[in-house]
Amino acid sequence: MTTLRFIGWRLLAGAGVLWGAATLTFLVVHFTPGDPAEAVVGGEGAAPTPEVLAQVRAEYGLDLPWYQQYAAHLWRIVRGDFGTSYRLHTPVTQAIGEQAAATVELALAGAATGLTLAVAVALATARRRRWLRGLASAAELVAASTPTFWLGIVLLTVFSFGLRLFPATGGQGPASLVLPALCLALPIAGVLGHVLRESLEEVLDEPFIVSARARGLGDAAVRVRHALRHAMTPLVTMTGYWVGALLGGAVVTETLFTRQGIGRLLVSAVNAKDLPVVLGVVLLSALVYVVVNLVVDLLYLAIDPRLKEAA
Amino acid sequence: MLTRSTTLLVAALLAATLTACGTNAAPTTTGGGTGPKSGGTLVLGENADEPACLDPHQLSTTNTTVVGRPIFDSLLRQDADGTLKPWLASAWQVSADGLTYTFTLREGVRFHDGSAWDAEALKLNLEHMRAPATKSPLAAAYIAPYEDAKVVDERTLEVRLASPYSAFLNVLAQSYLAMISPKQLKEDPASTCEHPVGSGPFVFDAWAKGQGITYRRNPDYAWGPTRTGPAHLERLEIRFLAEDATRYNALLAGEVDVIDNTPPASVEDVKANPALAFTSLDRPGHPFSVWLNTGRAPFSDVKVRQALTRAVDRKAIIDSVSFGRWTVATGFLTPSTPDHADAGGLAHDPAEAARLLDEAGWREKGADGIRVKDGERLTATALDTGVNPQNTQILVQTQAAAAKAGIEIKIENVPAQVSSERTAKGDFDVSVGIWTTNTADVLWIQYASGNITTSERRGQNTTRLDDDKLDDLLERARASTDAAGRAAIYGEAQARLLGLAPAIPLYDRPSLVSSSTKVHGLTWDHAYGAVTFQDAWVS
Repeated sequence: MTTLRFIGWRLLAGAGVLWGAATLTFLVVHFTPGDPAEAVVGGEGAAPTPEVLAQVRAEYGLDLPWYQQYAAHLWRIVRGDFGTSYRLHTPVTQAIGEQAAATVELALAGAATGLTLAVAVALATARRRRWLRGLASAAELVAASTPTFWLGIVLLTVFSFGLRLFPATGGQGPASLVLPALCLALPIAGVLGHVLRESLEEVLDEPFIVSARARGLGDAAVRVRHALRHAMTPLVTMTGYWVGALLGGAVVTETLFTRQGIGRLLVSAVNAKDLPVVLGVVLLSALVYVVVNLVVDLLYLAIDPRLKEAA
Repeated sequence: MLTRSTTLLVAALLAATLTACGTNAAPTTTGGGTGPKSGGTLVLGENADEPACLDPHQLSTTNTTVVGRPIFDSLLRQDADGTLKPWLASAWQVSADGLTYTFTLREGVRFHDGSAWDAEALKLNLEHMRAPATKSPLAAAYIAPYEDAKVVDERTLEVRLASPYSAFLNVLAQSYLAMISPKQLKEDPASTCEHPVGSGPFVFDAWAKGQGITYRRNPDYAWGPTRTGPAHLERLEIRFLAEDATRYNALLAGEVDVIDNTPPASVEDVKANPALAFTSLDRPGHPFSVWLNTGRAPFSDVKVRQALTRAVDRKAIIDSVSFGRWTVATGFLTPSTPDHADAGGLAHDPAEAARLLDEAGWREKGADGIRVKDGERLTATALDTGVNPQNTQILVQTQAAAAKAGIEIKIENVPAQVSSERTAKGDFDVSVGIWTTNTADVLWIQYASGNITTSERRGQNTTRLDDDKLDDLLERARASTDAAGRAAIYGEAQARLLGLAPAIPLYDRPSLVSSSTKVHGLTWDHAYGAVTFQDAWVS
């Protein structure tokens, strides 16, 4: 019962987060400079006639006061209607649907690669010789602090333009996923690897590790079978961080590697003040956040029953 | 999503890449006697300027012609020398008052959905361009004088204009005003963005938004502008590659066969590479220019505008920014524009600039070399969005040249939306821009006083030039129905503009196209200066 109540409260809070995200997005897009009608049919090289501008304003309700526009957008979303893109003239659900698979593919590949790298490096270097730990630590620091954009250009220059190992552009099968996934994974691996090693080193000092060694287990078995499970808990705590890093990194990665994806869709929608698409993408990201955090918190309850009483 | 077909595609592409590497080692010589080969796929790397919709009537982006020409034909075609030739119209007649255009339409043309090309189809297209519901950003403005049309018979349409408009035939040759299937316009007009249906040499296949567009050959095509019969290529693919370096390297690696928007810095390397070929074409219209706001001080004084024009070494700026790839503009129209007149008077002359500023009363100089009149500094504000690094370089170098002459230019970095809004309101002194179109009527668009933006009307007269004599010339040219007379009037207008100096014309923007030497038969759409593929083949 307490768990159900906990979920209920969290869902309610989640709805609040979504409403806040939608409101903030509307206000930011609406009150930044620029005439939305101009953004839809204007721009460099365009010469919209007064009739066309009037049509755009009337059709999208851009001539209404801001609070009426806000209410209209909110009411439509509450009823499950995400509207039609000003720029693409297609339903927002379709516009996002066309791009979602590519972003999910990239995010999953990036997360898997990042996690694997982090675990491998941490396992290999925790409680090892000073120079080896120093080297790993330095590499992690560089990976974590390198801007995604620059990292992507380096990867392209070396592995695509130089060695010609992977294509430079997306949408050409598994080979074209390698570099973007790495570009997304390396900064995450840097941070997670660092946290995981610290945590591993603490666990390796625990009495149960000593007893495992005393039973004659080899070093590798101790690390992988006993220490790693305990050391992973901080990574679960950081889920919010790396989901955010994946979504944020996707924007740059998709542009750089000419991949389809939600990130590119969002950038062009913001530039064109395409409010229905911007709202759709922001709400989707907020929803992913809310759901992921809820799942993580439930996982905690499963991992550590003591928290159940606290809740 | 990985499907079996994409895996096959990868295999095919890898094979193609390997083959390309093979030819890199031993470049094939062109013109070796073998004729065009039928079949194969050509992949073009474009820049990131991907249209939001594939209905040409709903577009104004630069890449509309490259992306749309495979699918769509136009009423007329423009030759390299600027003359208009028949295409979907086999003949046309203009009434003496310039108000009635009678088009005789070509027979036997069919759209990709099987619908026929006839007078009704042309009328539907003109109505679609104009209808506010289409939300056309450009085509509607280009046919603004269109009043109505009468179907005389199946092959003849009589189009009536509300006012004489001599550029009407020219703009009808542009891809923004290309012909869409009448069946689609009647039965499913909402689908034109996503599933464009035309009568062109290629049929629209698929559009992976954010990535690329694929086309397949139209086997029934027999009304090409230069050749009858279907395209040689089996398939055509356009990929949108945002980064200059990626686009160029994709060509080197054989990932793409042709690239548009070659980075100017790479052109010399392309030319030196035996496996690659290079070709370019200057676009028609208004050259890329530095606009000066004539609506407020200091550039409301024609002498200050003339002085700045002479103070700037245009060739030095253009050469350094484009690595010698762009042609310095000779006037207010590029030479590839019909009715362009050769002019002079844009020479770099700092002494003359100083004399003009003295004459305008800016005689004293402050400690920093900036001229002063009645205690006020000669200062101007330039808007820069920072989106295009070359534009920024041009502004910075103009700033340096102006400072030497004693004019201070402050560059303000603003977002594109702010720049567009302030430019419309006239809240700026200096900005940059270009207008590509295949008619001298671009001068009316940019400089007629009726096109100054007001609270009621958005116009393109950025410099806010208001000159009665010029207005009169531009209106007379619009009303002229005789080609020689029209050219003479436009000649006068261009000379008048050199004196009025509302802008500093800098360069004629070219299409810079690089290709693998196995690609042959690339052609141009001269109405816009864009590369086309109906005659292309891959060896």
